[in-house]
Amino acid sequence: MDDLKMLQDLGRELEHQPPATLMRQRQRLLQARPRRRRVTWLMTGLVAVATMAAVAVPTLLLSGRQTVSPPTGARPANVSGVVNVLLVGSDSRAGTGRLGNGARSDTLMLLHLPADRKNVTVVAFPRDSMVRIPACGSQPARKDMINSAFSMGGLACSVKTVESLTKVRVDHMMELGFSGVEDVVDALGGVEVTLPEAVDDKSAKLKLSAGKQVLNGKQALAYLRLRHYGDGSDIQRIKRQQVLMTSMLKKAQQRLKDPAALRVFLTTASKSIKTDAEFDLDTMLGIAGTLDKSKVRFVMVPWKPDPNDQNRLVWKQPDADQLFAALR
Amino acid sequence: MITQPATRGADAELVSASLTDPEAFAELFDRYSAMLYRYVSKRLGPEPAEDIVGETFLVAFSRRRSYDPSYPDARPWLFGILTKLLSRHHRTEAARYRALQRAPVDADVESPADRVAAGVTAQASRPELASALAALPAKDRDVLLLIAWGDLTYGEVARALGIPIGTVRSRLNRGRRKVRASLGDTNPMLEEE
Repeated sequence: MDDLKMLQDLGRELEHQPPATLMRQRQRLLQARPRRRRVTWLMTGLVAVATMAAVAVPTLLLSGRQTVSPPTGARPANVSGVVNVLLVGSDSRAGTGRLGNGARSDTLMLLHLPADRKNVTVVAFPRDSMVRIPACGSQPARKDMINSAFSMGGLACSVKTVESLTKVRVDHMMELGFSGVEDVVDALGGVEVTLPEAVDDKSAKLKLSAGKQVLNGKQALAYLRLRHYGDGSDIQRIKRQQVLMTSMLKKAQQRLKDPAALRVFLTTASKSIKTDAEFDLDTMLGIAGTLDKSKVRFVMVPWKPDPNDQNRLVWKQPDADQLFAALR
Repeated sequence: MITQPATRGADAELVSASLTDPEAFAELFDRYSAMLYRYVSKRLGPEPAEDIVGETFLVAFSRRRSYDPSYPDARPWLFGILTKLLSRHHRTEAARYRALQRAPVDADVESPADRVAAGVTAQASRPELASALAALPAKDRDVLLLIAWGDLTYGEVARALGIPIGTVRSRLNRGRRKVRASLGDTNPMLEEE
């Protein structure tokens, strides 16, 4: 037995067989029209924030809302009075019955409502974060991008992952699909943004001049999904989301004082969201009623580039843990 | 192009078919993704392997116009792209070999029966082999492992890395010499045989 043969034996020992999930990479290849794979969907949260910010009218119905089961097993304790909602923005075509079928999450945010409801915090988790994902269903625990929890294990797995990483109890969860964004923005009558530079992106089919703009639903979605804008990073995309959410929030607060408009808005929103069963209309309205004077603060989990891969990032410690500790 | 052959033959034909029909490229994935996955799993472990294989095909797809159709077999081309991508992970790889120097046998890899079949010797010499691999310069390691773990021939390695075949030989010899030196140049199996 020579050295080459011994190396080959070592190789056989180290070898792993390809998992079934390798087919996802085939999918990625087929979807890859020239360098579009970082295209990002979405946005989220706006429904929740807007809903909660509004002083809601109890007669509204969230009909057609779909629900999912919460994760099982040991979970962080529920601190009384505090409400944490996990918001997942996915590319599913919500409302068309395709929810949960091969949907990918692109936006992951934790909405933290402290007991006194004074300062609401929205924490964004960059999707390229390399984190430890706990075992979900048949999927074993592994290290992977945080958004893979959703595509592999659904909303419940996202909740489990966030809970295990942050030790923050997630009381409710909510998923907002792709088409929902357009509908919600249109239901609000458009949102205003200020663009530092003009946009002319053929792949996103978006053309806007610099300065103050009112975007309709389609434009808002395209704006969020822009790839070739600024430095093209996911971090910048999160910043755009936050700006847009803030703007939507303002718009919602002005506009949804009118009960009729609020009704239209919530009916639209209800078609695009999926929540846990306990997060029903009464709960939402109860929360919304306590939020009319809250201030909202947007933060991102502190991060640094992944030393192993420049295209990924890892959370900066102890900063990240300090942030989470404040949310418990 | 008027007719398509019923079954597509060589890889090169798939690559050129993919210029007009991008989906043809997916067949290359079907042919080689498992092979590339196994190779990466040996060098970096299973966790990053999936993504790297996906990335390899994405890069290959974007460069398919520059494929030289005089080579029917696309494996060296794919391994070449893969090797470049792996070089970004050299720290992970080095850490993996260092861990192998210390760690006992991975309990999750195989059944005991497979392990016996796979070679008791490699297992016993694992710390030495791993430390030799960790110490090799990246260029020598690429050549050595493309041959030992990727099952490429000298000519295929030369094509994959874009280097002359003589360079492949010299790098391979250097790599093997170091591996043998780390094994103490004595091989217990030789005496038993």
